[in-house]
Amino acid sequence: MARNRFDVDENLETPFNIKHLLRAGTYIGRHKKKMALSLLYSALSAAAALLGPLLVQRGINVSVPNRDYGELVLLSVGMLAAIIVSVLFARARSRYMISVGQEIIYDIRKDLFAHLQKLPFQFYDDRPHGKILTRVINYINSVSDALSNGIINFVLEIFNLVLIAVFMLICDVRLSLVVMAGVPLLLVVIFLVKPAQRRAWQDVSNKSSNLNAYLHESLDGMKITQAFTREEENAGIYDRLNVKYRKAWMKAQYTSQLIWVSVDNISTWVVGAMYLIGLAFLGPTMQIGTIIALSSYAWRFWQPMLNLSNLYNTFINAVAYLERIFEMMDEPVTVDDAPGATELPPIQGRVEFKDVTFSYDGTVNVLEHFDLKVEPGQSIALVGPTGAGKTTVVNLLSRFYDLTGGQLLLDGTDIAGVTLHSLRSQMGIMLQDSFIFSGTIMENIRYGRLDATDEEVIAAAKTVCAHEFISQMEQGYDTQVNERGSRLSQGQRQLVAFARTLLSDPKILVLDEATSSIDAKTEKLVQQGLNALLQGRTSFIIAHRLSTIKNCDRILYIADKGIAEMGTHQALLDKQGRYWQLYTAQLEG
Amino acid sequence: MFQLRWVWARLGGSHKRYLFALVSTALLAVMALGNSIITANIMDTVFRPLQESGTAGPGISGHLQVMVAVLVGFTLLRTGFGYFTNLTYENISQKLIYELRRDLYKNMQEQDQAFYSAYRTGDLMTRLTGDMDMIRHTVCFILRQLIHCIVLFTTTTITFFAADWLLALCMLAVTPFIFLLTFLFSRQVHPLYVDLREKLSGLNTAAQENIAGNRVVRAFAREGYEIERFDEKNRAYKEANKKASLLWLRYSPYIETLSQSLSIAVLLVGGIFLINGRITIGTFTMFNGLTWTLSEPMRSLGVYLNDLQRFFASAGKIIELYYSKSTIVSRPDAVMPQGRVKGRVEFKDVGLKLRGTQVLSHIDLKIEPGETVAIMGPTGAGKTSLIGLIPRFADPTAGQVELDGVPIRRYDLKALRSSIGIATQDVFLFSDTVDGNIAYGDSGMPEEEVERFAQIADVAGFAEKLPQGYDTVIGERGTGLSGGQKQRIALARALAVKPSVLILDDTTSAVDLETEKYIQEQLAGLDFPCTKIIVAQRISTAKRADKIVVIEDGSITEVGTHEELSQKPGYYREVFLLQNGGEEERQVG
Repeated sequence: MARNRFDVDENLETPFNIKHLLRAGTYIGRHKKKMALSLLYSALSAAAALLGPLLVQRGINVSVPNRDYGELVLLSVGMLAAIIVSVLFARARSRYMISVGQEIIYDIRKDLFAHLQKLPFQFYDDRPHGKILTRVINYINSVSDALSNGIINFVLEIFNLVLIAVFMLICDVRLSLVVMAGVPLLLVVIFLVKPAQRRAWQDVSNKSSNLNAYLHESLDGMKITQAFTREEENAGIYDRLNVKYRKAWMKAQYTSQLIWVSVDNISTWVVGAMYLIGLAFLGPTMQIGTIIALSSYAWRFWQPMLNLSNLYNTFINAVAYLERIFEMMDEPVTVDDAPGATELPPIQGRVEFKDVTFSYDGTVNVLEHFDLKVEPGQSIALVGPTGAGKTTVVNLLSRFYDLTGGQLLLDGTDIAGVTLHSLRSQMGIMLQDSFIFSGTIMENIRYGRLDATDEEVIAAAKTVCAHEFISQMEQGYDTQVNERGSRLSQGQRQLVAFARTLLSDPKILVLDEATSSIDAKTEKLVQQGLNALLQGRTSFIIAHRLSTIKNCDRILYIADKGIAEMGTHQALLDKQGRYWQLYTAQLEG
Repeated sequence: MFQLRWVWARLGGSHKRYLFALVSTALLAVMALGNSIITANIMDTVFRPLQESGTAGPGISGHLQVMVAVLVGFTLLRTGFGYFTNLTYENISQKLIYELRRDLYKNMQEQDQAFYSAYRTGDLMTRLTGDMDMIRHTVCFILRQLIHCIVLFTTTTITFFAADWLLALCMLAVTPFIFLLTFLFSRQVHPLYVDLREKLSGLNTAAQENIAGNRVVRAFAREGYEIERFDEKNRAYKEANKKASLLWLRYSPYIETLSQSLSIAVLLVGGIFLINGRITIGTFTMFNGLTWTLSEPMRSLGVYLNDLQRFFASAGKIIELYYSKSTIVSRPDAVMPQGRVKGRVEFKDVGLKLRGTQVLSHIDLKIEPGETVAIMGPTGAGKTSLIGLIPRFADPTAGQVELDGVPIRRYDLKALRSSIGIATQDVFLFSDTVDGNIAYGDSGMPEEEVERFAQIADVAGFAEKLPQGYDTVIGERGTGLSGGQKQRIALARALAVKPSVLILDDTTSAVDLETEKYIQEQLAGLDFPCTKIIVAQRISTAKRADKIVVIEDGSITEVGTHEELSQKPGYYREVFLLQNGGEEERQVG
């Protein structure tokens, strides 16, 4: 799949599908009892409210002509009781609905987030992060009401509608049919408008996603934008996305607002028709009283229709969002625990690549027939041109990607058969990109091992020579840093990330350009601290500064989809091959 | 209330239309009564006489036809008018948030680093999505509903007083209590909505960081922990939502009961008045029939005031963002550089204090046009801060920086920055094509130019191998590329603006040495005059500079050429020996 950009709509090809609502139903189903009770309470509340008019009627027809003040007072008390009962039931319903609505979006969001944790890097690399974020937050918030109150009201209105229809039919079948003739007419309107409406709301969700994605990226890259004085052009791009969103929204409104207009008009037509037909054709054969009664029912019949059509709009809108949410929840997990995966026992550190072939996209192989055996406690350096696949080798080790061919064994166990958690939690990987979370420095280092004491965190920081600068900050380890890490220099961020990795007490340590932004003197000190730590641990080190790796047990020169040269520093120098070239180049600088 | 005034002011050119829409709402509220009046008329003039006399009088069918036509016509008119009015609201509110988004985006582009350290991306996203929608909802819906309520309430009140002032007064007796309760409620709910908003922002930030840090999460196998942490935020948001909604449920039963008890007043007092002949049955029916138009606004008032409180919480956030001012701006009397900037950079006794920490002190440094200056020093010594002063990412707290002999504060900010090309340490690439990223500073750049700069920065080698060459979209933040590849694109981007001053902040740290050497040669032969300031960790990067500057602890400790400094005891020599530790070995070997 081509990468998605902020200005590309993520088109959804599946036709409108009740499936999404049904799937939402599994979330609603967890609250069956509350939903059922809400329905019951609503019905009871409505029934109690109906008592009011009856009491008034009684007052006018009986109490007033009888000049019975006592009964009037009695009726008023009865009415108060009816109101209180009605209000209390309505309150009980609202209570449930608030809870259900919030629980549902909480559950959906929880599931979506949990699924996101399983998705491969590829997923995050392929689309603007703002688009993912919009779904997790904004889209899910948008469906809360539709899935709680919306459903209950829908059922109630249907119930209402049926009830009134039955009353009408009892009054007079023929005239009722006239009134109901509006229903197919309305359905035709909805049928005609629906495709446009669905497209329009999908478009709104797309355009808002695009707008937010661009905003998100703009915020993250603001420093670059300012440095390159591209503000105006970016403002222009944002403006265009903004306009598109606005247009999409208005377009959705043009069609959505048509629905209530249609209901209002159609209902007037059929009631008018009923009057005319009633008078012209049926008049002599029927009680006029029936028409009067039917007239009031007819209006009441169309009120739920109007409400239903509004609900329909809400649902159409919600489905547009639900589609996106579930689509992301269905995003395939490419790297997952194999069925029956076992816990990887504590790692000794023997690593074996057996005839490994790997390709990111399935077409171009990055590694081909890669063989490598590493004994426990060995340190392995990987060097070679940028983009040759050094990072790929170490990524495979943590099973960030699955192999295209071959096997990767850890202490003789194929890593494809062990749980990801047991594998990765024993590996310490220091990535090129030293991402810092917002929070204190203490929290950031502790991310490596959550139960580490403050002393252990500080010890780790000392090992990587980060202690000094941290304690110089105004709040020491409790200094807040944010996700862009702007309080720390790049080198300092690397040191913090380094401490984080060390704290995790890994059995296998992977350092991917871990010290590239650290000055040589600090690096030297870090290495000294590291040497003690590396005793008995297998390590893989990627570095361009050869001084960093000279002392490794083995150096691999990665090129041409495999290992071009392998040996100790001295052996490779003696060989006078590509490593030797690299080394001399560095000396001549 | 100032939030409402502020929004009103932002409505700017739409004032007249908005007032028109509000007046239309008032008219529509009255027109909504039209249907019942016409229907009542049909009943009274056609069907009731028929029911009583049993025969159709002459012309009655004609009269009915006219009345039905009036009914249909009136509905068409009313719904048409309503459709038009609703769209007017939508239009105005869309225009408003469109303009607000646009202005906020522009304002955020002007903010300095202090702003971006203080506000998290997730928080800013919340403001431009959730808060913005609250403003839209208010302008488009809440205010409309409030007007609707007020109009219904006043017209009914007037009608009632005209009919019978005593009965009207009895009915209105409950209103002060309703208003009091509503007032108490909205005062109490405000802090809850402020809190809810914070929780939403927290949720947004948690999701945003998890997405941005997905690689680190995987590397540490922290999925479970992340899910837990997110769950905490998700739960907090849910609870805050419930809490705010449940508060309403504490008040609503009283408000509901009070407003519905209007019917009791009609029954009891109206009934008594009927008995003693103060009012006629017609008046009674009128009161009874219109009770809802009085109680409905009272009930809804609380709901809309509730929404309004959410609006206040959100609008406050937007307003804060709208008026945040950057300290780094062009002066009103800013000058434009005369022709192309020559590139003489001078630091005059520059000091920089950030958050109470002295980052730089007494920096004196002169860089001649066309010179290459390397800056070295330990991690956190202030190298990045120093070069950040040139494009004014921060302003010095002491002394001044001059460009071509003019203090840089006197230049127009954009003109200053456009004469500088910078590749920052933390490479940020946009989710755009390779071509688009290189031409970031000048998107109109012809393809050949892009490719020429790609050649210089050694991007060409790998870019041409990408699936779609230069048109390959790279992920946000350049994910999918290796560290060295990202750095080279950033370098090409900086070169592509043909800057007078080129600042490279450790831009080749992840690039292999051969490539670095190639790049250095290319940089030496640029076809435009350019001062180069290069922050470096490797001797190989710094060696050939005209001048090497060593910064330690915020001060310059050494200045000189490679030959000079490598002979003199000090930081540079130490690093030189460290990195070239192999020299003796080679001589031995």
